[in-house]
Amino acid sequence: MSKIAITNLNKLYNPNKPNAFYALKNINLSIEEAEVVILKGVSGSGKSTLLSLIGGLAKPSSGEILVNGQNIAKLPDIMSSSYRHKEIGFIFQSFNLLEGLSVYQNILAPLSLTSLSKEAINEKVSRAMSLANIEHKQHQTVGSLSGGERQRCAIARAVVMEPEIILADEPTANLDKENSLMFIDILKKFKALHKTVIIATHDTLFDDQNCIDRYVHMRDGEFVE
Amino acid sequence: MRSKNFVEYAILLLFKDKNDHLFSFLIFSFIVFILSSTLFISDSLQEDLLNSIKSQPEIVVENTRAGRAYAMHDGFIYDISKITGVSNVEGIVDGYHYFAQKRLWFHIIGDATLAKDEMIIGQGVKNAMAELYYNEEFHFFTEERMIRLKINKIAPKSTTIISNDAVYLHPNTARAVLGMEMDEYSKLYVSVPNPNEVGNVSLKIVEIYPSAKATTKEDAISAVRHLYYYKGGIFMILYVIALVSFFILLKNQISLVYGEKKKEIAILRSLGFCIKDIIALKFIQNTVVSVSAYLLGVAMAYIYVFMFNAPYLRNIFLGSELENSISFTPVIDVNLLFLIFLFGVVPFLAFVILPAWKIAISDMSEAVKS
Repeated sequence: MSKIAITNLNKLYNPNKPNAFYALKNINLSIEEAEVVILKGVSGSGKSTLLSLIGGLAKPSSGEILVNGQNIAKLPDIMSSSYRHKEIGFIFQSFNLLEGLSVYQNILAPLSLTSLSKEAINEKVSRAMSLANIEHKQHQTVGSLSGGERQRCAIARAVVMEPEIILADEPTANLDKENSLMFIDILKKFKALHKTVIIATHDTLFDDQNCIDRYVHMRDGEFVE
Repeated sequence: MRSKNFVEYAILLLFKDKNDHLFSFLIFSFIVFILSSTLFISDSLQEDLLNSIKSQPEIVVENTRAGRAYAMHDGFIYDISKITGVSNVEGIVDGYHYFAQKRLWFHIIGDATLAKDEMIIGQGVKNAMAELYYNEEFHFFTEERMIRLKINKIAPKSTTIISNDAVYLHPNTARAVLGMEMDEYSKLYVSVPNPNEVGNVSLKIVEIYPSAKATTKEDAISAVRHLYYYKGGIFMILYVIALVSFFILLKNQISLVYGEKKKEIAILRSLGFCIKDIIALKFIQNTVVSVSAYLLGVAMAYIYVFMFNAPYLRNIFLGSELENSISFTPVIDVNLLFLIFLFGVVPFLAFVILPAWKIAISDMSEAVKS
């Protein structure tokens, strides 16, 4: 059984309005466990929409998305939130950190939904910070960090719950080359940890990386050969 | 039930955005402060007045003519003392003297324990007289003569609620000041030992003297209660108006703030917070804001009323032209405080949760991309 199986997936924005358009058209995709997949395509090709649907942030107009055999397209809010919390780690282009909080407090956010002890929480946060190589900045507020440090903080937060699936939307778009290469190193760590990773990007840096299993090209909401 | 970790994180986020909550915190504290102050003053005055009424005899008789209080002669005392059930009738001399120099009214009260040339005055009277340098003695001017009296002493502060505008004189001196005849009284205090007889005695007095007004202790107590319910009621209406205006403002302000915080809510949603979690988060944050604002408002009101004697606000309740130096007796009605809590904190939470819910249910995928 595939880790993620997408069948006949469509996403229509503004239905029944003059400006209605399909962001995704009849998408079919299977992703195996521990596979690292790159979604390539220009802006507006539907990469981010596909990630949002796989991550349960939005609902498809039709079709199904099976994750571990469960159709997450039909889940009510409480269950899709629980799915995001336990199964998914998001990494966004704009980092999406909680401004005004420290690195440690940002990484703590998903753990606030658990009943873990202080010791267990500290251990998880430390492990995530170590993976993203950001522990030396843990007490600094995120506003004072560089772009690369902010990205590493976001990565630590994405992995703190030890999710099986990592979804990254243009993770290197706001990074310089040095920090982008650092992200590739972290990607290799994900691979070593047997995480299933889907990255939406048009960055050529990801081309010909041996840690990447598959490239999928998108245009106008459809897969292209 | 939310975990301790969740509550702690909600409070962490609250302190991060403390400036966003400052407006609602301060305004709500102020409203609770005003209402609590009003209730504290009202309750304290009621309590003191009721205690002073309780120490009075069972019936107070006043004569009226053309709707105004009118003096009674010795015959009233004789007739009333013959009514079955009456153990004693005491004639009281009291009335008001206009102090033209300060344009104030003094409450003149006869006290047989005083010598004819001395007087005891209340705190407010003392202050008014002192402004015109009457520190040792005071001159009452009547149509016929000037009455010179020594100021014997000042009534203790603990009695200010009833003595602030009072001047205690020997009854005959009081009569001279008030222009009454020597066998006349302003009021009669009628003692009735059997509480079941009070109503009957009161009716008999009115039968004998149809122009007399016999006020029982019970009537006086309910009159005081009505007076303070009326004043408290006006404040309650003002409070409700203020509160409704505040909640409308609060809703607009929270909608604006939460609109700006839409991305933050979207980030939390992407991390696994469900709609219920977002609402719980905002509920916890606003409970902390509203309960602490409530407690601050009540504490400030307590300090303002019982430690600083409610400057400005007390005159609305005391209604005296004289500067009143009354000390309020600390009396707290827990039920009323609970009512303020119920009608303040609960709508507060309802008004802020609605905008949070609206944003939590909106499309998050666009917000996290921006």
